[in-house]
Amino acid sequence: MIHKLLSTLAIAGTLILSSGCVTSTVDQMVFNEPTEGIGGATVVILGRRHASDYDTEPDFVECVGDHISSGDRTIQVIGELDFVNEFYPWFEPRTAPLQIADLERLMQREPKVAQKLASMNTQYMIWIDGNTKDTDSAGSVTCAIGPGGGGCFGFGTWGSDANYEATIWDFGESAEVGRISTKASGQSYMPAVVIPIPIIAPVQGTACDGIGDQLLQFLSSEY
Amino acid sequence: MLASTISAREWRGPVWLIAVIMLGLLAGCGPSKVVVEGDFPAPTISKLPISLGVWYDPAFENHEMYDEAASKTESSWLVTTGQAQVEMWDIMLQGMFADVVPMVGAPGTDQLNPKVDAVLIPEVLELQYAIPSHTNVKVYEIWIRYRFKLVTITGDPIAEWTMPAYGKTPTAFLQTDQAAVNLAAVMALRDAGANFASTFTRVPAVQNWLEQQLGNDQGAGE
Repeated sequence: MIHKLLSTLAIAGTLILSSGCVTSTVDQMVFNEPTEGIGGATVVILGRRHASDYDTEPDFVECVGDHISSGDRTIQVIGELDFVNEFYPWFEPRTAPLQIADLERLMQREPKVAQKLASMNTQYMIWIDGNTKDTDSAGSVTCAIGPGGGGCFGFGTWGSDANYEATIWDFGESAEVGRISTKASGQSYMPAVVIPIPIIAPVQGTACDGIGDQLLQFLSSEY
Repeated sequence: MLASTISAREWRGPVWLIAVIMLGLLAGCGPSKVVVEGDFPAPTISKLPISLGVWYDPAFENHEMYDEAASKTESSWLVTTGQAQVEMWDIMLQGMFADVVPMVGAPGTDQLNPKVDAVLIPEVLELQYAIPSHTNVKVYEIWIRYRFKLVTITGDPIAEWTMPAYGKTPTAFLQTDQAAVNLAAVMALRDAGANFASTFTRVPAVQNWLEQQLGNDQGAGE
């Protein structure tokens, strides 16, 4: 009896600890990589939000920033919301510059923007465009509750695709100096025998790690 | 009988409890209410050397949108934006113009108002919203259409134009419909500010007026 209970617990623990499979690919094309890192300069990472059918998730942008900061503590990443608020209204979905030439024009037209960017010592602006979306789903889980208790039974599965591209603008060069793209896809499962046990594929996290690693290689002297 | 042995004081507790439960149940039947609240940053923009008066009509200051449910399965919505509108436009205009003066009353020959170069009167013409249960898209959206009137202190028209604003926010885990609609409204208000800041000096009638006020070198090129 105890043996059966322990084996059931072990299976449940394995299921909880395991996660769905994810496959990912990363492509990069960079120029003028800083050979000794970025020194005391700062980096800002922003999400593109001008598309009608999707928004780059703020938590993905934050995840990439955290990945870079934790990988090299000398790199100072400015938070997206702080930056967008500081430069309101020039980085809203309607007004955000799509090309570095647009940003140059903005700085000429609005000297306050140029002054603030200079005071922040911002060397690189990184734009992330893309999103994670659920794809095909199958199966079903039914839950019921009654006087004697309740529970669920069934099996569900769904896929997720992440597709992101990071574009790096160098203020020193006044040029776009790199593009990094990452694709990740995975399948999540949720078997339910009394209790539903979600086995989530960390698709967005894998894409974040992939793009974060490449950006670290670009920005940091330690990688 | 049991009821006859219970004093009025003893009854008070259960009555209050029943009343609270009934009110709670009734509240569940009412419209979904959202009083839009948000933080609006000051703009990073060169101020125009203009003394601008601002008149918020009571309809603007207390603006709200009520949408009655189309069926029993849907909920009615009451979205109150007036307070947030005034807050956002106050911050925006104070950041855009050298001097911003609230008007005592609507500009007119009979109205005693402080002396300013012109008076701006914003008006919400239309507000629409969409939630996932309406569209089957995992996005909450708000559209606002404004009409702006720029008039002299005596109420003579200088310029009049309309301007759209749009805000959206995706669905999020554990986020209520009300919180998502509030966030979409805040995004729409931010977009309104951004649109106004980037297009105000390009409205032809405003551009002409600015040229007269500031001279050709400053007005037209903005």
